Amino acid sequence: MDDNSPQYDSNTIISTSRLTKAFGNLVAVNDLHLQVMRGDVFGFLGPNGSGKTTTIRMLLGLIRPTAGRAIIFGMDNAYQLPAILQRIGAIVEMPIFYPYLSGLDNLRVIAAASGMVSGPANDRRLAEVLEIVELRTYEKLAYRKYSLGMKQRLGIAAALLTDPELVLLDEPTNGLDPAGVFEIRQLIQRLSSLGKTIFISSHILYEIQQVCNRVAILQKGNLVKQGNVDDLMKRSEQIEIRLNREDETLYAQKVLQQAQEQEATWITQVHIQRNRQNQSLLLVDAPVARSAEVNALLARQSLYAAELHPREGSLEEVFLQLTGQTAQNGAGQHGGMVALANPVQPVQQHMMSTPEVPNGKRDTV
Amino acid sequence: MSTFPTTPEQPMPAQARTATVIMGRQDFLSVLLRLTGTELYKLRRRAMSKVLGIIGVSLMILVFLLISIGELFTLSNPAPLPPQCSQISNPQGPNNPNGVPCLDHSPTQAEIATADQTKQDQIRALSSPLRLPFSLYVAVQVLNIVGLVLLVIVAGTIVGGEYSVGTIRLMSTRGPTRVQYLLAKVGAILFCIVVGFIFIVLIGLVVGALLNLVSGVPTDTAFVSNGGIGHMLLYALLAMLGLFVYSSLALFLGTAGRATAAGVAGALVWWVLESVLGTVLVLVSFVVKGPVGDFLKAIPDYFISNNVAALLQNQSQYFVGFPASHLSNLHALLVLLVYLVLFLGLAVFASIRRDITN
Repeated sequence: MDDNSPQYDSNTIISTSRLTKAFGNLVAVNDLHLQVMRGDVFGFLGPNGSGKTTTIRMLLGLIRPTAGRAIIFGMDNAYQLPAILQRIGAIVEMPIFYPYLSGLDNLRVIAAASGMVSGPANDRRLAEVLEIVELRTYEKLAYRKYSLGMKQRLGIAAALLTDPELVLLDEPTNGLDPAGVFEIRQLIQRLSSLGKTIFISSHILYEIQQVCNRVAILQKGNLVKQGNVDDLMKRSEQIEIRLNREDETLYAQKVLQQAQEQEATWITQVHIQRNRQNQSLLLVDAPVARSAEVNALLARQSLYAAELHPREGSLEEVFLQLTGQTAQNGAGQHGGMVALANPVQPVQQHMMSTPEVPNGKRDTV
Repeated sequence: MSTFPTTPEQPMPAQARTATVIMGRQDFLSVLLRLTGTELYKLRRRAMSKVLGIIGVSLMILVFLLISIGELFTLSNPAPLPPQCSQISNPQGPNNPNGVPCLDHSPTQAEIATADQTKQDQIRALSSPLRLPFSLYVAVQVLNIVGLVLLVIVAGTIVGGEYSVGTIRLMSTRGPTRVQYLLAKVGAILFCIVVGFIFIVLIGLVVGALLNLVSGVPTDTAFVSNGGIGHMLLYALLAMLGLFVYSSLALFLGTAGRATAAGVAGALVWWVLESVLGTVLVLVSFVVKGPVGDFLKAIPDYFISNNVAALLQNQSQYFVGFPASHLSNLHALLVLLVYLVLFLGLAVFASIRRDITN
């Protein structure tokens, strides 16, 4: 089998194989294997500069890959790009329209360029998409007078214009206020319920966690992980236990570590951390569904928890685990949402990449 | 899961779109025509195009008004009779054949008639550029300068503007190929040249004809009967070709430089440099004799402006009687064709090959 052949089945909307882009010595995307299935709301995660936009540009044919290939709707985008693009609605970074045209006129231009009939035949559709993004009131206002949020919404309207099968959104909530972000999230869910496949790139992890069923995490151009969001988040589930005394906490740690080595292999790690009140907390990396079993293990040694909290995982934690970043340099609160910043630490790419398996496959969670 | 041997014959079946989305024909020509229409729609909506149009029309009217000043001045003055000999210091006479011709008597009817005839001849000569076929020559000469500048601005803007503003990214993700986009822009430029040329030249001809009414000199229609109309049409078409070559230069430079400024400034600098360089080379060839001098002298024969001028001159001889150019039509057409292929080919190449980033 050809190593360059993407993995494919009849439900695969996007499949890339060894997709690589180098700008001189800088490898922006390295050996990327992505797989997006029909109906997916696929989150494409990574800090700024991780190669998300470069990948999207390669998928849309804006830039040529240095190596590898991308198959979309069963067609190679190096040869059948026009046919592919007709089935995609996309926003790449901040959408830019003609500043001297109104929002409506801009959509008319986009409609004609997208293969739709020119003239009033498509006025109903234009009205529909403007309604979806709530820009009907401002449709005749010149684009240059639009606010950042309005520009972003017009971009989404343009992406939805032809009722595409695949909606590719690059940082769609940039410039939107929290209400706008909420609307976009609802819109994505609505599109997903209509059977559309959504590919959404973002560095805002919370946003992705809310809407996506599958994600790929990219760092420094390398695919760190790809898989189901629920499965990924299970990896970061924790059980938080507080005991009344310091010595009890230390003893409990020892007990659980021993159990981990014997019967409780589902425990990944046990460690102690101090909370804001300077109390010792025992953190057990284990599925929250096993909370009762953890409690029983402690009770068997006459250790009784004063408090026991199952802690749901988050994409942020998964990302930090996978990329080896610390909370301080890897993530922070950004506009009320958890956002990735540029990683400070050098990345050990090979350690973080998912293991390569024969035929170019990568493990998926 | 199986490995997918992608071939163009195995695309995934497309899902039906919602009923409110009405797609047009997707063959190459239909897409190209739709895109050309889109380009023209954008141009129509721009204030810039209207301003440029107004400038073109105003300058054309102004030129004809300026031409008519001489005619109006002559009309408003009395017939030019020789002065009375008593009023001048150096009168012509038998002893002074080199003196100024003058009248030593009251003007006779014959002298007055001769003076009137002279005045009419002057008016006829001065108003000649206001009448066909000479007015076409004037209008085209005006457009060769004014129209060229305006069209270079239009061409540079509609191509380079996509890069300057950043809309190229949006448009390149909508389906049509980059070649189609570029050809649509070429189509829009051609449309602007043809429509703009016809409109502004017609305005010039009409304004000229109206101003000519004052002179009372009728249009001599002899040029119609001796095949002048055909040459005039050819003359207009060749003038449009000249404008198209410069517009293509602006299109190429706008594409290569990814900016409006590159297209507009580049093409205008080229145009100015051609005349400057042409003059310099001819002057140098007078100094440097021999094969080198001949070579330098021959270089301007391959400039765009000289070949456009040659084509126009070779046609204008049939309706305004100017001498033909030393360059043949075939030579000029071939040179312009090479330039066109070069500019458009390079623009297509740059457009296809490049990565569209920020």
